[in-house]
Amino acid sequence: MPEQSVWMIRLSMIYLLIAITIGGVLLIHKSTPLHPGVWALLPVHFELAIWGWLVQFVMGTAYWMFPRHLTGEARGADARGWIVFLLFNAGVLLLVGGHLLATLPILRVLARGSLLISILLFITLMWNRVVTYRDLHD
Amino acid sequence: MPRITRLFIKSGMIYFLAGILLALIAELPDVSTGALLLPVYWHMIVIGWITQVIMGVSIWMFPRKKRGKRKEETFAANAAFWCLNIGLVLRFLAEPFLPFYFNESWIVLVIVLSSFLQIAAIGFYTAEIWPRVRPRPTRKGQPKKAKG
Repeated sequence: MPEQSVWMIRLSMIYLLIAITIGGVLLIHKSTPLHPGVWALLPVHFELAIWGWLVQFVMGTAYWMFPRHLTGEARGADARGWIVFLLFNAGVLLLVGGHLLATLPILRVLARGSLLISILLFITLMWNRVVTYRDLHD
Repeated sequence: MPRITRLFIKSGMIYFLAGILLALIAELPDVSTGALLLPVYWHMIVIGWITQVIMGVSIWMFPRKKRGKRKEETFAANAAFWCLNIGLVLRFLAEPFLPFYFNESWIVLVIVLSSFLQIAAIGFYTAEIWPRVRPRPTRKGQPKKAKG
């Protein structure tokens, strides 16, 4: 498993743990009030569950498992894989910060931009790996 | 496919079906409960279905700690399944009734238990998968590029 996938999958599990813990607190707050500020965590719960966990886990696994290039670097430029990882996670953390610090909406703009660039780079890495090599064996 | 993976995927499919059924009910003007079932629907799809399928398939497919070892079912994988599903069922049974029994001790107890079971399930899943998510150890003399 490439290092980029190792860290994407590990971080996705950490985000899932945080997301489900926040979800548990929100659920308990629905049954018995804990603190009026608890609902502010709802968007953080969504973003971590969708972007931090689901999307990142799928990206990390795809980067690992999709057919590798037959020549050159097996999964494309190694550095680009790291940039995808760094930009994606910077995006997730900025999103969380942007929701917690509502007075700084620029954080959410930066977060979406960071996610956009990382996904663009991810697609450039993966596009040519969506192939079959079956014809080579026929 | 290991038994625990089959359990994850089959229970995932039941939540998938139940989630779509709730979505259909929510669209019927005469029986719709408004936003009451919305969190139940979302969690059935995102946790009950998508997350549960990911958990089941990763427990099956991710590299094991020891190569060539029979696909044994660990305590952590079983605990993750049972904690998650008992937690989800308790949640889905109790959550729609929260506005009617708000702050009553029995429903608070069910909700707290459900929350802890769901968190514990993810803890067990992480404990199962974390050591299996690692770079392939390079053998002596093997070029680094060939890993993965």
